[in-house]
Amino acid sequence: MRNPNQKRPGRGLEALFYLPAAVLLVLVVVYPIVRTTFFSFTRTTLDTGFQSEFVGVQNYLRLVSDSRFHTTLWVTTSFTVISVALEFALGLLLALGADSFVRGRGLIRAFFLAPWTLPTAIIAVLWAWIFNDQYGVLNALLTKAHIVQTPIAWLATPTSAMASIIIADVWKTTPFVFLVLLAGIQNVPRELYEAVEIDGGGAWAKFRHVTWPFLLPFVFISLVFRLIQSFAIFDLVYVMTGGGPGGATETVSVYAYQTYMRYLDIGYASAQVGAVVIILAVTTYVLYRLLLRRYARLV
Amino acid sequence: MKRAAVQISLWSGLAILLAYSLRGPQSGAGAGLSVLMEPDGTGVWRDLVGQFNRAYPGPPVRLIEGPPATNTREDLYSISFLSRDASYDIVYCDSIWVAKFAAAGWLRDLSGKLSDGDRSDFLPVELQAGSYQGKLYRMPAFTDAGVLFYRKDLVQKPPETFEDLVRLATALRTADRWGFLWQGKQYEGLVAVFLEVLRGYGGEWIDPQTRQVRLNSPQAIQAVNFLRSTVGTISPPAVTTYAEEDTRNIFQNGGAVFLRNWPYVWTLIQRSGGTLKDRVGIAPMVHAPGQKSAATLGGWGFGISSYSRDPERAWQFVEFVTRREQLRQVQQRQGRIPARRSLIPPEMLPVVESARPRPSIPEYAQASDILQRWLSAALTGRVSSERAMKEAAAETSLLLAK
Repeated sequence: MRNPNQKRPGRGLEALFYLPAAVLLVLVVVYPIVRTTFFSFTRTTLDTGFQSEFVGVQNYLRLVSDSRFHTTLWVTTSFTVISVALEFALGLLLALGADSFVRGRGLIRAFFLAPWTLPTAIIAVLWAWIFNDQYGVLNALLTKAHIVQTPIAWLATPTSAMASIIIADVWKTTPFVFLVLLAGIQNVPRELYEAVEIDGGGAWAKFRHVTWPFLLPFVFISLVFRLIQSFAIFDLVYVMTGGGPGGATETVSVYAYQTYMRYLDIGYASAQVGAVVIILAVTTYVLYRLLLRRYARLV
Repeated sequence: MKRAAVQISLWSGLAILLAYSLRGPQSGAGAGLSVLMEPDGTGVWRDLVGQFNRAYPGPPVRLIEGPPATNTREDLYSISFLSRDASYDIVYCDSIWVAKFAAAGWLRDLSGKLSDGDRSDFLPVELQAGSYQGKLYRMPAFTDAGVLFYRKDLVQKPPETFEDLVRLATALRTADRWGFLWQGKQYEGLVAVFLEVLRGYGGEWIDPQTRQVRLNSPQAIQAVNFLRSTVGTISPPAVTTYAEEDTRNIFQNGGAVFLRNWPYVWTLIQRSGGTLKDRVGIAPMVHAPGQKSAATLGGWGFGISSYSRDPERAWQFVEFVTRREQLRQVQQRQGRIPARRSLIPPEMLPVVESARPRPSIPEYAQASDILQRWLSAALTGRVSSERAMKEAAAETSLLLAK
């Protein structure tokens, strides 16, 4: 709340106040990006004594022919699409449901948010135990209910291992989508609902013509956040399956981590990360075109 | 008002916390040295470090208890060394890291430091496993070799061949007792098991001298087929997700007749005082008729970081903990086998001395990952044994050809 009579501070002083934030941003965001980009065009390995030799796009060409990279890309994409779709659907349903509570909304929010606040590595250990074949609670319940005869090794087959990781991820991050969408729903002017009622519209009409258009920016934000996080998934996979069985749950991040940390192939690992950045940038742009442009036309 | 007070105290508390964490390590004289190790469950390492610091006045050595997963500790070391950081002076080192760490220039050459007495007492295989291109980079401390545990109350004479093992395991399997347990999860342990089976058929993975890959062979396919045939028949279907401790827990609860594992299991069973105590025997791993059993050698020792600011003091510590007396203390309290012949129980000596190391190449981690991936894919039935070995051989050859 600026007092109009007060003199505006000079431009120089203003810049000075921006400086700490700018320095921090350069240090933790710009520098790593520039450095990783640089590495991705070099051969920097144990063989070169960690000295960088410029090799042009050779690392990116290697990605094209690397079958393991293709598998990880496929694994990551299917994980992302399925888990984000589930999280979005559940988050939206929960948000719509929670919006109808007038009292105790804060309590519901806090309750739903609990999984989101726990560190992922701990959640991964927890779910790995739930899915454990010998001592896991899931198998115990299923055998007690006579649904299965012998315990199922959930993390042992490619499909069920992937499903287990998706379930753990949905459990953890649905609250995030829920919270963002709930904020969006509460932003909707209530009188518009009355207008729909006067026009004789039902619940679906209210959602279709009022809630959803107003929700679009929030849909965009929640989807972009979730897509980026999902595509970069590391901790959950690393702890629950380590990428197994047979590489069936190995994501791009897990592979890049292995390439960097264990194979000490810094140039190639940087190219893997670079490829992910390009993919995410394109996806985000497409989402932007699909959702936000429409919103801009609507409002 | 009350709210403001709460906020002020919260923020100042945060500020103090931040200031405290930014304070940095205490520098200056006597900052000390550190060694990153496994979680010290028995407390024996804390005692040894204490003994050293009392007996040898100087900058104190500090024990850092790292995560139990060995490849996580390998990564911690790598991260630190990549940034030329001097956090870890003494490297508690697995034999499969030696080539990589030495080739990267992260470990000091210790060749000249070994006394003649030590040279003859340490197991030759362990000295070899601690060397890279003829130079010693890691002092041996403990040795490990894969063995076959069997239930003495059920089996009179332990099996020698793969056929014996399958026959006995099938005959003795019951509704709540499996025949044979091994480590089938996609991790380093699977490579150790597979190598024993592969070498038991007379095959080989990588020739350490010529770096030739020998996976595209009938023996390798036989080895994969053998392991694959046990899944769901004499071994639980989930055996392809088991690591050492999963299999030990089942075996120790009486859930299996045979178990392939490391000797620590024997100590734990003896110490548990459970009903299994006198009913478990140890035998060398099985092999094909006309072949010899070849236990996979594992082993731990101590190296010195190239970035250590006080390598003399670090050596003093390494020399101290690898002495007979100190290794014996760990042997007594942790049940591990020292790499000194004079301390190895006679019944264990033949198995350990005939154990064979994994290839000593800087690209070991990547070669092992390639093998693990294709093995795991074959064992879970996603690709045929033939294809798995063919692909693994091709990828490994490409890796080593560079």
